[in-house]
Amino acid sequence: MILSIYRVSKFAIQNFWRNFWLSLITITMLVLTLLTVNILVVLNFVTDRAIQAVADRVEVSVYFHANASETSVQNAVTYLRSLQQVRDVATISADEALEQFAARHQDDETIMKSLEEIGTNPFGPSLIVKAHEVADFNTVLEALENPQFRDNIREKDFSNYEAIITRIKDTTDRIRTFGIVLSGIFLLIAVLIVFNTVRMGLFIHREEIGIMKLVGASNAFVRAPFLLEMVLLSVVALAVTALLLYPTLAVLEPKFGFYFGGQTVGLINYFEQNGWRLFGLQLAGLVFLTLFSTWLAMRKYLKV
Amino acid sequence: MISFKHVSKIYPPNIVGVEAVNLHIGPGEFVSIVGQSGTGKSTLAKLLFAEERPTRGTIEIGGWDITHIRHHEIPLLRRQMGVVFQDFKLLPRKTVYENVSFALQVAGSAPRRIREVVPVVLGIVNLHDMFDRYPHQLSGGEQQRVAIARSLVHQPKVLVADEPTGNLDALNAREILDLLKKINEFGTTVVLVTHDRDLVNRVRRRVITLEGGKIVSDVEEGRYKL
Ligand SMILES: Nc1ncnc2c1ncn2[C@@H]1O[C@H](COP(=O)(O)OP(=O)(O)OP(=O)(O)O)[C@@H](O)[C@H]1O
Ligand SMILES: [Mg+2]
Repeated sequence: MILSIYRVSKFAIQNFWRNFWLSLITITMLVLTLLTVNILVVLNFVTDRAIQAVADRVEVSVYFHANASETSVQNAVTYLRSLQQVRDVATISADEALEQFAARHQDDETIMKSLEEIGTNPFGPSLIVKAHEVADFNTVLEALENPQFRDNIREKDFSNYEAIITRIKDTTDRIRTFGIVLSGIFLLIAVLIVFNTVRMGLFIHREEIGIMKLVGASNAFVRAPFLLEMVLLSVVALAVTALLLYPTLAVLEPKFGFYFGGQTVGLINYFEQNGWRLFGLQLAGLVFLTLFSTWLAMRKYLKV
Repeated sequence: MISFKHVSKIYPPNIVGVEAVNLHIGPGEFVSIVGQSGTGKSTLAKLLFAEERPTRGTIEIGGWDITHIRHHEIPLLRRQMGVVFQDFKLLPRKTVYENVSFALQVAGSAPRRIREVVPVVLGIVNLHDMFDRYPHQLSGGEQQRVAIARSLVHQPKVLVADEPTGNLDALNAREILDLLKKINEFGTTVVLVTHDRDLVNRVRRRVITLEGGKIVSDVEEGRYKL
């Protein structure tokens, strides 16, 4: 058994080297396919991050009247916190609001003067509400329309990023569709090329195969080298893809960071953490694909 | 050893290979099959090593009914018989030694056994000093001897040779014939397909003559008629 595996491997590796150009073309095509798939993975990841980053910044500021009572503000906070759509509620008291305002305008004399002239704190308390998802803000805004709160509220300020998010989604959806179509095409080409490589292999080795069968080689023994060769090509293609992908990501990572306000996107980290699963899945898919087309080619061109 | 019962082989659409062949060959026999071109000699040989299946009738070899032999059983059959052809069927990029050991490798034999068997069979065909030569460095007769050595690695009970001397001159042809006789003396049943008159007359053993796919004569210690 081990001996047969050794002999089959030897034949497979011989095939690989003897038809070097054919192997190279096959690998190139497999690599292209894998690269498009990985670009899709990266794209998915980056858009998710981008949307999340924008969504993180979305918040509703709720300004209460200056005369709003402490308890009514507290009631609103408690109520908002009880909503499952609400992620976080921060309270800014009237005094804090005044302090923040003064700090912001300390160089502006007119403003500081008029503040002094008023004499009392013109600000009321305010809340900053964050939701889990952009769509949840509707619930929050509606909740605040409740008469219980409404009369105490001076203004609600909703910094709406929904337009931006829609735009990100639209653009990436288009790129994604293009990517999926492209990898579909590459996949098809890859199947055809593998098919042809096996066909050529069978043709080149037809004499050898004929003799093998005459002297009593089992069908499995005749077929195995071709199957193994394609598995070998798949593994090499995946390794090449990983080798190309890693430095590219390392270069891209800081560039993406720029758009995320200098924060790292965690792309490399993502690949490092999910690499085994990602590449494992890709290898399994690729091997399945190449074995399938090998099987097709043998069914057509290898009469055993 | 070999028995054909009412065997016909019709190639599509309607070409007669052999027709209504009844034949019994005992163990240790040396049988020559003769006949003009296109009379079904190679078809008969191919039926023996299951390269073709009969359209009608039954074929048995060593008590094994191979009429409806399954694909995966064919290798087992071929490991019990040797086959030799006019065009030698050696692998050009392998040496003499490798060509012979190849037959053992594809059957999954252990390296130790290969190292034992290969020199022995190459010795039988008198090629002990040419292990490292490639087929193109050998004469036709020597190439055929390599092919015969290869057919012997599994110690076959039956050896089928389809025109083994077709590409050889008279002298080499006789050498090959002597070799086949020697193998037959070891106990292997030999089926020799040929249309070499001189050869058949030298064997002085059973001769079966085919014509139009049918057996027209079957005589012990026959001579080439036609
Ligand atoms: N694969 C095939 N398909 C169709 N017809 C075939 C096939 N093989 C052989 N035949 C036909 O069957 C008949 C017998 O062929 P076969 O090869 O057995 O003859 P043969 O006696 O070996 O001839 P030769 O002495 O020239 O080798 C011939 O008419 C041939 O054309
Ligand atoms: Mg013939």
